[in-house]
Amino acid sequence: MSARWNDFDQIFSAMDLLRNRMGMANRLFSDFEPPWGLSSGWSAVSNLPRTNLYDADDHLLLKAAVPGLGKDEINIKIQGNYLEISGSRQEKAPEGYAAHRLERGGETFFSRSLTLPAEIDSSKVEAKLKDGILTLRLPKAKSAKIKRITIS
Amino acid sequence: MSDKTEVAKRQEQTPARRRMAPTVIPSVDIYENDDEILLFADMPGVTKDAIAINLENGRLTIKAPRLLAGEGVLQFEEFGDVEYERVFSVPQGIDTDKVKAIMDNGVLSLHLPKSETVKPRQITVQAG
Repeated sequence: MSARWNDFDQIFSAMDLLRNRMGMANRLFSDFEPPWGLSSGWSAVSNLPRTNLYDADDHLLLKAAVPGLGKDEINIKIQGNYLEISGSRQEKAPEGYAAHRLERGGETFFSRSLTLPAEIDSSKVEAKLKDGILTLRLPKAKSAKIKRITIS
Repeated sequence: MSDKTEVAKRQEQTPARRRMAPTVIPSVDIYENDDEILLFADMPGVTKDAIAINLENGRLTIKAPRLLAGEGVLQFEEFGDVEYERVFSVPQGIDTDKVKAIMDNGVLSLHLPKSETVKPRQITVQAG
């Protein structure tokens, strides 16, 4: 039985490989990553940073891809379970150069608001920016935390 | 003789299941002036040590994996683990020794200086 699965896996990984190769040769088949989540399957709205959200019991973890933004160019607002991230990429084209290809969107402004699945203790939020990824650690407010009740 | 049997032998013991991160093409801006070609590529989440840049036979290959470490239960995901890869044809006359790459805030800047022989040169005509 395991041998059979092995065969399937081999076929699928070969297909993956083929798909990847086709992507390299032909744009039509590729997963071209648009700069700001432009028309990317899930979000129909353009100009928003791609965002992931995780729930780790006592806190939420948010990751947003913001390539090219410095920490002074990002604004984060939190109130209760409402979160707003806005920012602008102030990137000037290098002077004296001719542009051959412009895909990255140049100067951009975005504002994204999210309703979080829990109330946040806004005083304990930690924000980090590393390699173009903004990571927010959002501790849940006391009232939102799960309380375990032991039966007496 | 022995190598003939080797070909027919199947390697069942090697695990065939390998999660292949999807290959994604990074967005780039390409600029050029008289001295160099300048390339910017958006690759959020890529650390500078993970990037492999290869310039060979007029082909420039940029390859970099992005691995995101999450925590707890995923609520929603709009970007994941990927393998960034893009290949460019580079014109001749790039001084490969002086290529410089900088990674800053998830953006790769790649300076490809032109070698002296291909730089435009003004020739002044002297009176005979």
